[in-house]
Amino acid sequence: MKQIQKDRYLDPRMGALLLVLANVAAFSQKSFAVELSWIIYLTLLTTLYGCWIMALKWLTAFAAVLLIQWYVLPASPMVIATSFSIFANYARRMFPCLIVGMLMVKRTPLRNLIVGMRMLHIPQKLIIAISVTLRYFPAIREELGYIRDAMKLRNIHGAEKVECLAVPMIVSAAGTAEELSAAAVTRGIENPVRKTSAVQLRLGAVDALALTAGIAFTAAAFVIK
Amino acid sequence: MIKIEHVSFSYAKGYAALKDVSFTAEPGEGILLCGESGCGKTTVTKLINGLIPAFTEGCALTGKVTADGLTVAKTPLYELAKRIGSVFQNPKSQFFNLDSDSELAFGLENEGMAPAEIQSRIKETVLSLRIQNLLGRDIFSMSGGEKQTLAFASVYAMRPRIFVLDEPSANLDSGAMERLHDQIALLKAGGHTILIAEHRLAFLMDLIDRAVYMKDGQIQNIFTVGEFRALTEQQRIQMGLRTLLPVEVELPAAREAGNRQGLSVEDLTCAFGKKSPVIGKLSFSAVPGEVLAVTGPNGVGKTTLTRCLCGLLNEKAGTVRLNGKPLRAKERQRAAFCVMQDVNHQLFSDSVWNECGMSDSGAAPEQIEAVLAQLQLLSFRENHPMALSGGQKQRLAVATAMLSHKKMLIFDEPTSGLDYARMLSVARVVRDLAKQGHIVLVVSHDHEFLQCACDRVLTLV
Repeated sequence: MKQIQKDRYLDPRMGALLLVLANVAAFSQKSFAVELSWIIYLTLLTTLYGCWIMALKWLTAFAAVLLIQWYVLPASPMVIATSFSIFANYARRMFPCLIVGMLMVKRTPLRNLIVGMRMLHIPQKLIIAISVTLRYFPAIREELGYIRDAMKLRNIHGAEKVECLAVPMIVSAAGTAEELSAAAVTRGIENPVRKTSAVQLRLGAVDALALTAGIAFTAAAFVIK
Repeated sequence: MIKIEHVSFSYAKGYAALKDVSFTAEPGEGILLCGESGCGKTTVTKLINGLIPAFTEGCALTGKVTADGLTVAKTPLYELAKRIGSVFQNPKSQFFNLDSDSELAFGLENEGMAPAEIQSRIKETVLSLRIQNLLGRDIFSMSGGEKQTLAFASVYAMRPRIFVLDEPSANLDSGAMERLHDQIALLKAGGHTILIAEHRLAFLMDLIDRAVYMKDGQIQNIFTVGEFRALTEQQRIQMGLRTLLPVEVELPAAREAGNRQGLSVEDLTCAFGKKSPVIGKLSFSAVPGEVLAVTGPNGVGKTTLTRCLCGLLNEKAGTVRLNGKPLRAKERQRAAFCVMQDVNHQLFSDSVWNECGMSDSGAAPEQIEAVLAQLQLLSFRENHPMALSGGQKQRLAVATAMLSHKKMLIFDEPTSGLDYARMLSVARVVRDLAKQGHIVLVVSHDHEFLQCACDRVLTLV
């Protein structure tokens, strides 16, 4: 039984802003000190939201990329060094965005995301589309599990597998889409009144602090060259 | 409260789904809609919750439907939603959130209700339905029964006056059906009008006031509950209805492990990761020619057992033997087959014939023809598998297993949502397979079906 922790939710608006900041900083900074402090800051933030294992994994991965870039690639043959150095460089730059993204996935419930989008006056139609899409991912994973089982029992292997995924996935998606929308309209999803929310989003002191730090780092990315 | 007057209806494809249907449901009345699959029960429920005509393209509707004083065809669906609550058949496709708390609030948030009031409504719903255990849960980790209860609760929180239930028990085990029974009883006591379309009738007998029996889109008869209960077995069977009385599974217990012939499971233990075992030291055997029922409440490990026997899951300890020879998981994948509850997951090809041709044994055309003929599928050989009926799809899955020379066949809930005639035809398929020397296991909650299709029972606890 997976319990969802009540506290330590990442506010979706704050998450979105951090994501933007991380993006801007990642692709404008040129100093290793700024980059490293961004990463450390974000992993600290991740720990603060209770995902310390994830934080540890990110740090390890970052260290691994650094090691490859500094020690492995220079010692490798030319072909490998040239073809992978760009890749490693960009992978490193992606890290802040990936960390924030992952944190949002883990620590922003779909419901809060919807409330956040409403507060930002994003059109209701878009919100419904986004929320149904996000809800659909775990459903797809479930379906894939069944289909994979079925393919094993039919002894279907290799390239045939991909082809065989299509039919059952499409059939089930079509069925689900219809049933889901029937259930949605009979629970008043089309009601034009302004929708309310049982949960209230409030930006707390921690959020404010985190955001200020994020802005500071982004500014540093431009100033320190 | 609900008034249906001379309604005729046809879907876009043209066939008449309802012909001159009229009946009235008084406030607080419980009405059962019954009849064979395709008789128009579900269509009637859609007339009331407004899915017809608003949600059905290109249909033709005549006549008038009013519910709680509203003319359904002229009222927007979101207005109807406040007064008419709908619960559907499939627990998987009735939720919009990933966590249960959000789901309970969903309908109320759509109405634009103040947050404080939403909270108090939810609290009250949780208390009256006694669903504290469902709060704060990840919906994808919930069982089918729990999901169905959650769907019911989130509709209940909106406090509609009328409830429309379309085969709500189709995917439930007996424990979950008891819960559903109690929930409907609560509605009844609260003076709600209830309309329920169902195949499984026994659990509803003390909840309904009248039963509307439909056939081919027409109302054949409207019984008071007294008249309905007084139907003789013969009349009931002639009408194509499932049993009105609860059925207990009274079959001899599964054979002990150690049979040299057939399947012998010895001290089987299955677990996920380091968690405590789902199945611990299970032993039994199943012989060719007999059908073994596997029952037990949800979460007891029926699915785990099925997956392990089919070699989709490795055992932690114990042995699975076929004709005395121990089989590893990989070998079991070759020897066993599972007809899944949702058979759509296991049909991949573009025609019945090609589906059979996919079998890795490289079956000769004559063989395929013989198997299809035996399963009454030969005349559909050029049809697309997805265009077949539910029962035909099941038989096609069976055909693929037979062509791969699988010795052991496991059916997972093969009768969910089936009417009497279709249930009997599944029973016949199962029996025939056993007679031909297959080892057949049937995992099911459907007591009526188990009693008529199986020889022995393995009850997991």
